[in-house]
Amino acid sequence: MVAPPSTSLQQTLQAVVQSVQWTYSLFWQPCPQQGILVWGDGYYNGSIKTRKTVQPVEVSTEEASLQRSQQLRELYESLSSGEANLPARRPCAALSPEDLTEAEWFYLMCISFSFPPGVGLPGKAFARQRPVWLTRANEVDSKVFSRAILAKTVACIPLMDGVLELGNIEKVEEDMALIQHAKRHFMDHFDAHTKPALSEHSTSNQFARADHHHPLYQQPPIMQQMNMDIHASNQEEDDAHDEEEDNDEGDEIEGSSRSELRAMKYSVDVSVPPGLTVSAAAAAETIPAAEASELMQLEMSEDIRVGSISDCSNNLDAEQMPAAQSICKHWNCLLEDLGNGFQQPLGTQEQDFSPEDAHYSETVSSVLRHNLKRWVGSSPLSYVIQSQKSAFSRWSSKRDRLPVCSRGSCTSQWLLKSVVLNIRDLHCKLSDGSSPKSTDGEGGNRFQKGTAQEEINANHVLAERRRREKLNERFMILRSLVPFMDKASILGDTIEYVKQLRKRIQDLEARNRQSDRRLKAMEVDKPDYAVNYKLDNHVVDKRKPQVLEGSNGVGVHASVVEEDALLELQCSHKDGLLLKVLQGLHELGLEVSSVKEVHGKRVNIADVKKTIDQIFSDH
Amino acid sequence: MPMISSNPPSGGNKAQQQQQQEEMESSTQESPLNPNAFTFDLPHPVYAMAFSPSPFAVASSCSAVAAASPRLALGSFVEEYGNRVDVVAFDEDALAFRPDPALSFDHPYPPTKLMFHPSPLPPLLASASDSLRLWHLGPETAELRSVLDNSKSSGYCAPLTSFDWNDEEPRRIGTSSIDTTCTIWDVERCAIETQLIAHDKEVYDIAWGQAGVFASVSADGSVRIFDLRDKEHSTIVYESPRPDTPLLRLAWNKVDRCYMATTMMDSNRVVVLDIRSPAAPVAELQRHRASVNAIAWAPQASRHICSAGDDGQALIWELAAAAAAGGSSEAAITAALEGIDPILVYTAGAEINQLQWSAAHHDWVGIAFSNKVQLLRV
Repeated sequence: MVAPPSTSLQQTLQAVVQSVQWTYSLFWQPCPQQGILVWGDGYYNGSIKTRKTVQPVEVSTEEASLQRSQQLRELYESLSSGEANLPARRPCAALSPEDLTEAEWFYLMCISFSFPPGVGLPGKAFARQRPVWLTRANEVDSKVFSRAILAKTVACIPLMDGVLELGNIEKVEEDMALIQHAKRHFMDHFDAHTKPALSEHSTSNQFARADHHHPLYQQPPIMQQMNMDIHASNQEEDDAHDEEEDNDEGDEIEGSSRSELRAMKYSVDVSVPPGLTVSAAAAAETIPAAEASELMQLEMSEDIRVGSISDCSNNLDAEQMPAAQSICKHWNCLLEDLGNGFQQPLGTQEQDFSPEDAHYSETVSSVLRHNLKRWVGSSPLSYVIQSQKSAFSRWSSKRDRLPVCSRGSCTSQWLLKSVVLNIRDLHCKLSDGSSPKSTDGEGGNRFQKGTAQEEINANHVLAERRRREKLNERFMILRSLVPFMDKASILGDTIEYVKQLRKRIQDLEARNRQSDRRLKAMEVDKPDYAVNYKLDNHVVDKRKPQVLEGSNGVGVHASVVEEDALLELQCSHKDGLLLKVLQGLHELGLEVSSVKEVHGKRVNIADVKKTIDQIFSDH
Repeated sequence: MPMISSNPPSGGNKAQQQQQQEEMESSTQESPLNPNAFTFDLPHPVYAMAFSPSPFAVASSCSAVAAASPRLALGSFVEEYGNRVDVVAFDEDALAFRPDPALSFDHPYPPTKLMFHPSPLPPLLASASDSLRLWHLGPETAELRSVLDNSKSSGYCAPLTSFDWNDEEPRRIGTSSIDTTCTIWDVERCAIETQLIAHDKEVYDIAWGQAGVFASVSADGSVRIFDLRDKEHSTIVYESPRPDTPLLRLAWNKVDRCYMATTMMDSNRVVVLDIRSPAAPVAELQRHRASVNAIAWAPQASRHICSAGDDGQALIWELAAAAAAGGSSEAAITAALEGIDPILVYTAGAEINQLQWSAAHHDWVGIAFSNKVQLLRV
């Protein structure tokens, strides 16, 4: 009979108990629904009464012990499942109750036990999170150690979310070193095979849960394992994303870190009974050989847990087996390669990864390693305690009927969107000190309307910009019409100017009636004009006008506002005069931006934009 | 002056509370009598919120406050230059807020995020708006310690959408900006450690997973993980199903670093991702009836997450069953089709804009809506 495979947990247990030469080691793990500790896995290292083998094969003591543990387990299961099935199910080499020593019986009985936290030795160790050592267990009150049959010394060490129990039929005094040694064994195993950390995938399947807690590598392939892999791989086949990723890989041997990428995914699959029976067979055939090998390699590298396998194998349909088996042989050879590959420590990355994935896997593996260290240090709770005085209430699905409270016309995620989407404009707007105050109101409106979509927002930005530009242009024109304007007081000055113009119109009309005698219109105009300008000067103090009055009725007014200069020329009309004026200005190095000629008033106004600062440095 | 209103817990027995809670379940409006929600009113809307880290003594005028009380920094959201950050302590014994006006300060532009230094000493608060600023919350007053400004010219500096303080390497702060870059700062030298062009479009949120690993979400709809040891490469862990749907918020589970969650624009879904299986989300939580605004992982439990949205609800979800939904068992299929239900729910009276779960005090969750901040006991 071939030695059945063991999980790494069992291997660890085996290693621990053999290294300390004790009788048995068990692992209790918490079962989430009931909140109690139940049997996880165990290793029996004690004396064996009879050894039943089909062939007279010499097996080593180690293998025998391993076998024994399995056999004890099977015996337990068969016993617990009832006698009716007893003869039919069990192979001939299985144990029957009379074959066991007392110690073995004790081990068997342990499987059936469960401990709520705080009760019993394992429960106490779990609750206190500190090791508990009990010598002379067989003499102790049954309250403390309810299983006091044989074991004389029992030590319970809380580890990795569960409790490791070691038992010995000899009396051994408490020894902290031994406890440390046992702990170290577990930790070493962890470091060698870094693992995806836990997250509960199946609350109903406690075996799977056990394995999720200790997902360590498994080396030897078995039939059932391959079936599991088929399922796992088929699961993956169904997922288009994964397939693409796998194809990208093209790697022979997977680094352990990559397997972590898949680990939890597969652990999900593991706990799932194969509802994929139909797709499994079909998909299995469609896998092209090369890719299949890669895929399967990926899965081979997964942790397959014995417990879950046996569980799922129970669920397998009969027809699954043949289809699965045909592919199994194909994979056997690959598995060996993979098994060898896995001996490599994490650091060696000699595989031909695609570089991005290699980097990512390293990143993920470092995160996971780190995660694990933190967990070993301080075990996090896996539940949130709702205090009695909680502000929260229990969810009930009836709530769906209740209407949503909305804020009327506001768009969804208004504030959040303002934060992330509109901050640019907000900052631009606010930091732009010279922006006219009129646009602030606009911006405010825009916020309140709520720019829902980003495209609309972009449009708003552009629209706003265009608007601003248009406004600026018009301000310039207005300024050219109305003398002595700067941006801030432009409206006020325009009002004043319009008033003055109206007044002037009235005056002129009045004078027109007397115009027959007024041939010196220009002279009158001049002072009027000058008067007007002086009025403007009083109104606004910011400019420094230069009023030059020529003798022949030419008036020149220049005002400088920031970078722009407004030059007003008043003279009699002459053809080509404007051209000369512009040429003269050009020679001076002044760039003319707009010219407005008003014939009626015989006023030439040129708006000049200075480009050379030195000319105006006197001002 | 901000007003303080607190609801003292009812002295009733558990049955009474249960009944009250059941009544509250059936009402859409926030029941003002919820005895375990404590409200703080402010004169302006609040967006940025931060809980102080592990308890530390408050040696200020409010020394009456117990040393272990949670302390909140609240940033206003006013669309103007002048904004304010208020520091408020919550007395767990008296169940009342105690604002600390001496420590409140003016802030230029609304802060998009506030965060305390991961360790209580020095009491530093970081804020992000147009640039990253560090404030020292001294015993008497708050003062600006440094401005981490990225602009090379004196002109425009791209505003920051978010940042995250690395709790394992507290010298590092990563910021995300609308100029598509993420900048990693060394706050002790006040200098840039590195700057990466993270995405094709604006980066909206950033979260550290480890000392040298962070993830960011962007308007291009992708979640990317970056490793500072290898800045050339980044990995897309998830992309929004409809292309170019911006992902707005990101949260990395600090307890179980395999998981992170993200939210999309105008979507009521919270997408939970496993970094070990990129592209396929572990779960999509779809019980909100309007868009989700904020998410926060539980600081002490490995698989609980809280989310809040425009429907005025704060939901706490447990992801145990979620992970198993990848399989095809009947229960899992149902879960996949109908989605996972949250375990706890709280209804506020208005859209909840911000949610923070206190890392130091695991049973307090802070939410911000309209002009109020509420502390909810979990």
